[in-house]
Amino acid sequence: MGRPVAIIGSAQTNHGKRFDVTYPELVKEAVDAVFEKTGISPDDIEGVVSGTMPSMMEGVALTHFYFAEVLRSVGKPILKTETCGSTGISLAFTGYYWVASGMADLILVVGSEKMNEGDSQATMTTVLEPFYQRSFIAGAPGVFSMQSQEWSVKFGIPEEKVRAAATRLSVDHHNDAFDNPHAHIKKRLTEEEVNTARIITYPVRLWDVCPNSDGACAMIFASEAMAKKLGLKAAWVKGIGYSGEEYWFGDSEKAIWQCAIDASRQAYDMAGIKNPRKELDVAEVYNPFTFQELLYYECFGFCDFGEACDLTLKGTFSREGELPCDPSGGTLCSNPIGATGLNRAAEAALQVTGQAGDHQIPGAKLSLAHAMGGVDQFNGVMILGSEK
Amino acid sequence: MTNRVGIVEVAMTPGVESKDYFLDQVFRVTKEVLDKAGLKRDDLGTVISASSDVFHGGVSCASSYYWDAGGAFLKNGSRQDGESLFAFIYAVMRILTGHFDTALVLGVCKGSENPDDDMLTHFFTDPFYQRQVGLNETVAAALQKREYMDSYGISDEQCAGVVVKNLENALGNPYAHVKKKVTVDDVLASQVVMDPLKAMECAPKSEGMIAMLLAKEDLAKKLTDKPVWFEGYGSSIDKFYLGDRDLLEGQLPNAAKRAYDAAGIKDPKKEIDVAEICEPYAFQELLWYEDLGFCDRGEGGKLLDSGATARNGEIPVNPSGGVLASNPYVTRGLYRLAEGFLQIRGQAGERQLDSKVNKALAHSTHGFAGQCHAVAIIGS
Repeated sequence: MGRPVAIIGSAQTNHGKRFDVTYPELVKEAVDAVFEKTGISPDDIEGVVSGTMPSMMEGVALTHFYFAEVLRSVGKPILKTETCGSTGISLAFTGYYWVASGMADLILVVGSEKMNEGDSQATMTTVLEPFYQRSFIAGAPGVFSMQSQEWSVKFGIPEEKVRAAATRLSVDHHNDAFDNPHAHIKKRLTEEEVNTARIITYPVRLWDVCPNSDGACAMIFASEAMAKKLGLKAAWVKGIGYSGEEYWFGDSEKAIWQCAIDASRQAYDMAGIKNPRKELDVAEVYNPFTFQELLYYECFGFCDFGEACDLTLKGTFSREGELPCDPSGGTLCSNPIGATGLNRAAEAALQVTGQAGDHQIPGAKLSLAHAMGGVDQFNGVMILGSEK
Repeated sequence: MTNRVGIVEVAMTPGVESKDYFLDQVFRVTKEVLDKAGLKRDDLGTVISASSDVFHGGVSCASSYYWDAGGAFLKNGSRQDGESLFAFIYAVMRILTGHFDTALVLGVCKGSENPDDDMLTHFFTDPFYQRQVGLNETVAAALQKREYMDSYGISDEQCAGVVVKNLENALGNPYAHVKKKVTVDDVLASQVVMDPLKAMECAPKSEGMIAMLLAKEDLAKKLTDKPVWFEGYGSSIDKFYLGDRDLLEGQLPNAAKRAYDAAGIKDPKKEIDVAEICEPYAFQELLWYEDLGFCDRGEGGKLLDSGATARNGEIPVNPSGGVLASNPYVTRGLYRLAEGFLQIRGQAGERQLDSKVNKALAHSTHGFAGQCHAVAIIGS
C-alpha cells in the first residue's frame, strides 16, 4: 500500500512547566533540534504538518499562522491536523500519507502544547456540547473513571486487584521516567503512596493521572529513496490504523472498546502481525490514566479481556517483561496533548533504531505507538519496524 | 498522474442562516452525497473533515462532535483545522496511497451559531503584540487594501465593481447567502467598517455544510458518468507578523505555481475555463487575479474593467457569486471547488457558463491578508 515511508529523525523538548519560553519558542526548540540531529536543512523540507489541541487551550486559534516561522514553513505547503487527544498520532499519519502518496519525499511533522498557559480541564469540558454532556462530565477524569468502572464491573475484576495493577503501573512508570531525559514527572513512589493518594474522580487517584505538560515534538518522514540518500537510521512505518466512534458517551460500550480494537487490528493487518504480544518488542500505549492502560492491553490483543490485571501484576508488561509497555514513562509522566501522540511515535521510532538511550529495550525491532482522543472516542495505532 | 483521483458527487447546504440542528445538517449532506453516488455508508473508505474550533459554536475538538453524523462511525478518518481545501488534498493523498478506494471530504461550518467572524479571527493574533491592538482579519485587509490602492492606483470604484459582478452572479445560485442586485454607488455609499473598507466590500458570515465524494479512477468511472479529475494542488504559508510581510507580494503565486506545475498548466488565463477564488474582501479578488497569473502586477482593476472575469468573459471568475455572496469561513474553499465541479459537469443551473468548462481553478485563503493560500485544479 503506497510507497514505503520511514521516520528518519525526531526531537522532543524537555516536557514540563516551561515558563522559560513562549509557545513559539517551545515549538522552535523541537524543530531546531530535529534539524540539528539529522543534519537536514529546513530548505529541503517539502511540506509541514502542524497540530495542537483546540484553540481554547492556549487562547490562540489556528496556530499554524502563529508558528509559521518557527515551523520553518514560510513559503511551503502546510497541513493542520487536529483530532483532539489523538492529534499527535493523526499528525504522524498525515506525514505518512503525504509521503506514501508520492506527493513529497521529505515532510516535517510537529505537534505541540503549552498546557500551563491555560486551563486544560476547562478546555476539555468544552469538547462536550452544552446541553447534555457538558454539565456532568467535567473534564477528562470524569470520562475515564466511568470507563474504568464499566470495565472492571463487566469482567468482574475485584476492586482490590484493579487497584493493585494500576498502582504497579503508576510506580513503574514514574520510576521509568527517570531514564527518559524529556519526561515531566519523575518520582520514586511507594505502593502505599499511590494507594492512599487523594481521589480525583473515584476510583482514579492522583498518581493514576497524567500531568499538564508543556512540550513539543518534531519528526521527519521520508520516502525510501530519500531515506537512503540521507543515510540516516530509519524506523519504517509497517502499519497504521485509526477508528472513531459515537460522540454521545452513553451510547457506546467502552470496555470492549470497538474503535480501539479496530484501530489496532487495521495496523496489525497491514504489518502482518498475528500475535502482538509475541511479535511486538515494545509498545508506547497512550496512558493518561493507569486504568486505561490496562484496558488497552486487552483491546489491543496483548492479552484476553479480563486478564490485564493479572498479567500486569506478574510483570508481563514491565521493562523486563514479555512486552514492555511505556518504558519512557508514557503519557502518565508527560502529557503536552498536541505533542503526546507524536511523542509515542518518536519513542517507538527511537526504540527500533536503538537510540532510546537509558530506556532502550535491548534488540527492539518492532514497536507500537498509540494515541486516543475525543470523548473517549478516537484511537490511532502505528507500527514501526527496524526493517522495511 | 497514472493513478487518478476523481470527484464523484457533491452535496451542500445554502449559505443562509438555518434553524436546522447542526448534526442534522451534517447528516443530510453526508447522506445526500452517498445517495447520489449509490453508495452505502459501509462502502465508504475514509472520512476527512474540515472544521475549526473557533468557528464551531463553542464546542472544541470539532470532529468529535460530528464524527458519527458525518458517516465516520468506526471508520478511519482525520480532520484539518481551519481550511477545507486542506481536507480535500489530504483525502486525495489517502486515495493515492492505495489505502482507500473512496474518501468523503466533509466541510463543517455553521455561521449562525458563531460570533462575528472578526471576533474569531482576532484569536489568530498572538497574545503579546497583535491582540492588544485589536487586530483581526478585517483590520489586516484594510491595511492591505490601502497599500494596494496607493501602490497601483486601484480605485474604490474598481473594488466596488467586484461586488457588483459577484452579487449579480449570485442571483442565480441557490446556495448563495446574499442575493441582491447592487450598483457601484450602493457599495460606495455603504458604511465604512474599517477605512478604506466599506461594509458591502466585506463578505457576510454564512452557513456551509458540504460533502464531496472522491474515488480512485476506476471506481469513479463506475460511480458516475461524469467524474471530474483532480489535476493539481499547491499551498503556501507566509510569515505571521504583518510588519514582517510585504502584503502585496504574498504566497499565492507560490501556491498557484505548485498547482499549475502539477496540472501542467503553462498559461493559466488561456487554459483555465473558470476560476472560483476566495475574496472575503472585494479588492482581494483583483490582487489574487494578479497572483494567479491572470494579469500582470497592478493590472487587476483593469482586468475587471475589461470584462474578462465577468460571466462568459475570457476567464470567468466567481460565477457562483464567490465569498462576497456566501462566506462559511472554514468551508468556503470547498464551496469554490464544488462550483468548479458543477461547472465542469454542466450542472451549474442558471449560472452555467455558455462555453464548455473543461478545467476549473478553486482557490482558498485564510489568515490575515492572505497568510495562507491553497489552489486546486480540477478538469474533465
